[in-house]
Amino acid sequence: MRQATCSQCGLTTTVRSFYSMNGKTYCEPCVWKAAREAKDAGLPPEYVALQDNSICGRCGAYSGDTADHPIVGKLPLCANCAPQVSNWPYPNWLKASLAVLFLLLMVALVHGRKYFHAGRTMYVGEGLVEEQHYEQALPYLQETLKIAPESDKAVLLTAKAALAIGDIETANKAIQGHSGGHFEHADNQDFQEVKQTFDRASRAFVQADEAAKLEQQDGHAAEAARMMHAAASMYPEARALTIAAETSDEGVAFEAKDYDKFLAIAEKQWQQYPSAGMAAAVASALACKYAATGDFKYRQQAEEMIETSRQKVENDPEGQKAFQEYVDRIRYRLESRQIITKTQYDRRFRSGQAN
Amino acid sequence: MFFIPGPLIALVTFPGVILHEAAHLFFCKLFKLQVYDVCFLRFGNPAGYVIHEKTDNFTALFFVSMGPFVGNTLLCVVFCMAAFLPVWELKVSDPLAYFFYWLGLSIGMHAFPSTADLSNLWEMAPGKAKQGSILAIVSLPLVAVLYVLNFARVIWADLGYGIAVGVLGPIALFRALARV
Repeated sequence: MRQATCSQCGLTTTVRSFYSMNGKTYCEPCVWKAAREAKDAGLPPEYVALQDNSICGRCGAYSGDTADHPIVGKLPLCANCAPQVSNWPYPNWLKASLAVLFLLLMVALVHGRKYFHAGRTMYVGEGLVEEQHYEQALPYLQETLKIAPESDKAVLLTAKAALAIGDIETANKAIQGHSGGHFEHADNQDFQEVKQTFDRASRAFVQADEAAKLEQQDGHAAEAARMMHAAASMYPEARALTIAAETSDEGVAFEAKDYDKFLAIAEKQWQQYPSAGMAAAVASALACKYAATGDFKYRQQAEEMIETSRQKVENDPEGQKAFQEYVDRIRYRLESRQIITKTQYDRRFRSGQAN
Repeated sequence: MFFIPGPLIALVTFPGVILHEAAHLFFCKLFKLQVYDVCFLRFGNPAGYVIHEKTDNFTALFFVSMGPFVGNTLLCVVFCMAAFLPVWELKVSDPLAYFFYWLGLSIGMHAFPSTADLSNLWEMAPGKAKQGSILAIVSLPLVAVLYVLNFARVIWADLGYGIAVGVLGPIALFRALARV
């Protein structure tokens, strides 16, 4: 290692222990003093550490007494260090790790695709629920549930949307799909809101079931209608209950032999909900009118409505079954001009077995 | 607040440390700065470092100092995106998703530039800003905020940042995408 001597105190030691200021060499204590004096005298007080160019600035390798290491940038560097410092290589393990990371990134994106889809449909559904477009929201939320049946948020949104349009079956399916209906955060406001609506809907449907059973018994149409209307009022979101309540009024009119009213209600319902059942109900009311008046136009109209109803159940096996049950009774009414109840018809022609 | 030794945290979240240093090295090489020593991971403080030559080029200094911040943040968002939905929103038991969440958060919590990086920028930025450097003007508030957050590492600000980026980033992104 090269030696130097302090111009002030005469200390001689390795070059790297010295400083240079205004062209002179100082040891550390002397350079502090000299800097203060230079400052007082109005001279530049800056000093820099002396660099021993025979020692590599990175690894400390000594080049010998006569040869210096070349200066690369600002440091003397030996032949081994110079190329590395100028172009530090990426280690192979780092390159391999970055390749693995890139691969993981691809895996994350590919693996996450189904979640991105489920997440997107959930957020779209959530937006539609916020805008109270429940019917539109439901398909999106059901799509989310295919991937995430345990998601509190998706389940509660689905149940909320379904209950808001009276679809208690879909709401129940979503809730039961979530740990059999168990929610950890039962105090959650969304959960409470859904629970209250669900309980109200359940009570309404239980009452509607009772009303429907009562409706099957002769002479109870008025009571059944009252119960059905109460159920529909309890859960007005369910269009099915509203329809059932109106239908029960048909039963009341039928029992009271007020066939004009029966026909008026049936026609009104047919206008509102043009389904096979409603068409058959109109046919039934027209058949009553024919039986009561003998006016052939009612019979003709009843036949037309039977045909309309038949066409609507062409591709619906369940509907065909219900249609056949109803149409047999209507045709009997048209053929015999006798108005009998379903119970009476079953007793006479179906060995007392109601279908 | 509980204390966990920094080196232990660095070991558990080692991908973030390595990526941080790799980004430093990348930008040093990009701006042709001499690199005197590199340590990608060690059991100590700091957990990794890149020693490079001093430069008067503010752009180079900015990218060398802030490169890891941007790079780690972006990777954190991407990895957490793949994990955020199944873990937080969809409640799907998917081990791979948890792995990606660990990876994303590990990367995110080592996004912060070190105090030394920020000090260098902080020293040079005012002068360069006076000369009209847009980058210097923009970097001043950013560096100031990061400086404060860097000190808040003792109260887990780095982990907080990782979680914020890994959770809020995907939420914002997915909500925006859902509206498209």
